[in-house]
Amino acid sequence: MRGRATVSVGQELPELARVVTREDVKAYADVGGDQNPLHQDDAFARSAGFPGVIAHGMFTMGHMAAAIVAWAGEPDAVLAISAQFRAPVFVGETIVAGGRVRSIEDRPAAAVLETWVTVERNGRPEWPVKKGEARVRLA
Amino acid sequence: MNPAAEGTTYPAVPFVVDPSRVAAFRALFGISEGVPPTFVTAAEFAAFPQIVADRHLDLDFSRVVHGSQTYGFRRALHEGEELAVRARIESIRIKGGNGFVTIAMDLEDADGVVVCTARSQMIERAAGA
Repeated sequence: MRGRATVSVGQELPELARVVTREDVKAYADVGGDQNPLHQDDAFARSAGFPGVIAHGMFTMGHMAAAIVAWAGEPDAVLAISAQFRAPVFVGETIVAGGRVRSIEDRPAAAVLETWVTVERNGRPEWPVKKGEARVRLA
Repeated sequence: MNPAAEGTTYPAVPFVVDPSRVAAFRALFGISEGVPPTFVTAAEFAAFPQIVADRHLDLDFSRVVHGSQTYGFRRALHEGEELAVRARIESIRIKGGNGFVTIAMDLEDADGVVVCTARSQMIERAAGA
């Protein structure tokens, strides 16, 4: 677990990037349980107004959680996590999770993080997750 | 979607925190130990069929997108434990033809302690939108 003495307000989490592949999205459907065809069937996704299949919002949040866990040191330290889904993620895109320490609580020691996930599309940043938050226990 | 379904509660559904499924989830996200926080989604999907099948709620899942998600933990899940997943319709709002439903789920352990509460806001987009 991350020690209180190593944390300060404004500190940034290391960015965590990954390419989202069609295989990742299928694997996520199988392990997470969401078999909505929007994430597997291009024709269905087009009928819903997208150019092709999109990643599950929960895939993107799972990636954000991985960045938080890496910073926190272990999954058990995560006391709360939340995300607002603002933009779709298409297969082949690179998502980047980030965050910073908004505040620190004492007794018990915990950090409140603001977190996000961005993707660059047509030269502009989009926000698959905006206003993400997490509360992380500190040692 | 039927706003009068706000407050509906559903019977508890059992969910086992299967270690092999947790391991697959960890591998997908590059997490080396423990139960990843968003693994709770698997427990939510154990209870979703009741909600999808609820004709009083009348939620059209073919038009649903995920708006937001929150998890709050009393403790992390333990691999191998069995939890009871209790779902309820916490709120329903209709705005501009779109329906916003917040589904809350409590995950209770064998001692009856709620170890995690999950809240999913789903948006049922207006038909033809």
